[in-house]
Amino acid sequence: MNTPARRLDPITERAIDWLVRLDSGSATAEDRSAFEAWLDADPRHRNAWQTISGLLHQPIATLREAESHLPGQRRAARLALTTPQRRKALRNSAVALLLMSLGGYALNRQHPLGTLAADLHTATGERRQVQLADGSTLVLNARSAVDVEYSASMRLLRLRKGEILIHTAPDPARPLVVQTLHGQAHALGTRFSVRQLDTHSELAVLEHRVQLTATSGAQQVFDAGSTARFDGTRIQPLAASATIHAAWADGQLDVRDQPLGEVVNALRPYKRGHLRVSPQAAALRVYGVFPLDDPDATLLSLAETQPIAIRRYGALVTLIEHRSESE
Amino acid sequence: MHTPTHSPEQTADALYRDHHSWLHAWLSRKVGCPHQGADLAQDTFVRVLGSNELGRLDEPRAFLMTLAQRVLYSFWRRRSLENAWLEALAQQPESYAPSAEDYALVRDAIETLDRLLGGLPLRTRKAFLMNRLEDMTHVEIARSLGVSVATIERDVKLAFTHCYLASLDAMPDGTTAHLASVRP
Repeated sequence: MNTPARRLDPITERAIDWLVRLDSGSATAEDRSAFEAWLDADPRHRNAWQTISGLLHQPIATLREAESHLPGQRRAARLALTTPQRRKALRNSAVALLLMSLGGYALNRQHPLGTLAADLHTATGERRQVQLADGSTLVLNARSAVDVEYSASMRLLRLRKGEILIHTAPDPARPLVVQTLHGQAHALGTRFSVRQLDTHSELAVLEHRVQLTATSGAQQVFDAGSTARFDGTRIQPLAASATIHAAWADGQLDVRDQPLGEVVNALRPYKRGHLRVSPQAAALRVYGVFPLDDPDATLLSLAETQPIAIRRYGALVTLIEHRSESE
Repeated sequence: MHTPTHSPEQTADALYRDHHSWLHAWLSRKVGCPHQGADLAQDTFVRVLGSNELGRLDEPRAFLMTLAQRVLYSFWRRRSLENAWLEALAQQPESYAPSAEDYALVRDAIETLDRLLGGLPLRTRKAFLMNRLEDMTHVEIARSLGVSVATIERDVKLAFTHCYLASLDAMPDGTTAHLASVRP
């Protein structure tokens, strides 16, 4: 029964043609009367019609109902069902399954060029310190992923997502480079952190110096204590202090006069589900040191000092609003 | 093939006693949460009970691992779908999160659609959902996706055919009798 070449019976196929036609937005009065005539011509026609028109009735009715409470539900459902990344992520987990079933053999195999390819990644709320083969120490922030590609001439860390802090072991023959979507950070004997966001990446230099190269070729060297952002084309120094910027590696979120929106961004990798902040609440300025490992407690203490209301829907959705909005 | 010496219930019971703990640990590590791991271990044993091979297990560990991987795969599939949905909700300009009851219902509805539309090309899914879910006409969809109206017509038809065939596969015996029996 699972043969791909399976054909529809002609009556079912006709019923589908009718449904497509009638809901196309350009059905004519003649179409409708021809359809009525077809329905009446044979009881099997009516059966097939009921089967086909009832196919997706229930899920679609549920989404319509949700739409009537809160507009945007149908569109969100459609976007979720047609997200290409999701399908890619799914393929990746299928690949992960395949690797698992090969008993880890594939993960440990030597690359033909002698490069050891390894994927390091952290889950929501997980921070991890890893010692690399050359003695460098890597700390991954929550929901981060990095590929380690060491070769004879270079130590390349490809930041796939999230944030890392690296304390490099000296090796003059093989420079250490962190590659993001937006450019490269070239270590000059040092400790520094790199964070990759959708639109740009950020650098914080804790010791010595780092040379940044944006994808466009723009270059700039940053000294200990400085922070910078770079997108594909430009490099801009930031005002924030590097130690504050990299406080996450010690499990802290250190904020001095930053918008709440950025604080929420930093908490996101530590909280399962969806954290949404209204634009009005996002603009509030925040001071304080908060524990990253307990995002719920952090939100509660923010609610004590800020004019915000925190609402939860189900287990996975948290909404932060300015109090003036929820009154 | 050797003859079963125990009833299926006894076999399942022994399997649970001997293997639940490592399976729970393994699944918890995979998903990074002991509670989720416990749920998935439970799902795996539910599949064990439904399996025909229960009476003649030579390699229970390998057998459980295979089932657990299937459970894990569908867990990831559901989770990535849910994340994509939450992401899409967040991008809606004026939308708020649904209530807890709506949340569960809507999530199930999206999972059902995902199952029925699984394997269809992206544009076909898009065209179909724009038509069925958002009530867009073929002309509007064609304009929005930059293809001809005839292509949209073909996409919608293909998606219906696919859903129909997928719904047949969902029936235990693959007949249309069940579809007929749920009609009002």
